[in-house]
Amino acid sequence: MRAIAPKTPPQRPAMQEPDGFDRLYRDHVDLIYRYAYRLCGEAESAKDLVQETFLNAYQGFKDFRGEARVSTWLYTIASRACIRMRRKRKGQPEHELSLEEFVPTSEGEFRLQIPIDGLSPEEALQNKELRQALDHAIEKLPQKYRMALVLRDMEGLSAQEVGTIMGLNERAVKSRLHRARLFVRRELSARGITHHDDHKSGGSPS
Amino acid sequence: MTKKKTAAPKKQSIPSSHSHRHSEGNCVDLLRQLSAYIDDELPSDICMEIRRHLGACPNCEVFIASLQHTVTLCRHRPVPQLTLADRMNMRRAIFDAANAR
Repeated sequence: MRAIAPKTPPQRPAMQEPDGFDRLYRDHVDLIYRYAYRLCGEAESAKDLVQETFLNAYQGFKDFRGEARVSTWLYTIASRACIRMRRKRKGQPEHELSLEEFVPTSEGEFRLQIPIDGLSPEEALQNKELRQALDHAIEKLPQKYRMALVLRDMEGLSAQEVGTIMGLNERAVKSRLHRARLFVRRELSARGITHHDDHKSGGSPS
Repeated sequence: MTKKKTAAPKKQSIPSSHSHRHSEGNCVDLLRQLSAYIDDELPSDICMEIRRHLGACPNCEVFIASLQHTVTLCRHRPVPQLTLADRMNMRRAIFDAANAR
């Protein structure tokens, strides 16, 4: 099922009240953890990002004017924190993805070589090898493309909301999303998974 | 697939089935619009052009199906749940860090 952010009306969380922050945390920690896990790809980094996000929310509450939904505000804080954390780790510099690099050049590159025929997405993703291939492809995406893909296709936000969070116009969001999808498609196609594993590996992420 | 149209993005041309040759790179224009097509963001006349093109070009048809599968898999990628202990530990860490700053 496609994840949809809660449709809470724009409102300022009552953090001046004794339980205000607890309520904000309780209502949104699962949402932000899910987003963080999808960005980071593993649990410990995701927890670090969640903590950094809520710490910043706690400290920056005075600047929140309730003009955006609370979830959008938290997504924005989490996205900026993720970018800062990556800079601290001094990872490889981000590179741009061009459309031309995704044009297939041989017959085998047009299709996904993975066992999905006749299976629901949930059933297909019971295949551990496929799950790992998908995780690896998303992990390989340059961060700004991964963020657009996660927010739009996994968190289920509109292009306009993604633009607000990432500081982009809708056209730029759609451009990044399209390249991100083509990148993941190419990685899955190149990987090739030829066997079913009879769902023995279970459905939990590894 | 039924395509309704709401927005009116700028019109772009799709390579016709007559001029289509993958080996000459004529499908790049179509490639640019595939996500908009999947997301139902194109005007109906452009969608019809694309469908005509797909009908004449098995490679493009396979390619767009593979992109749709990719998006579907992304949408269903599983995510683990936080445990109660995780939630409590993180909450404590956040307050500790806030008090330390």
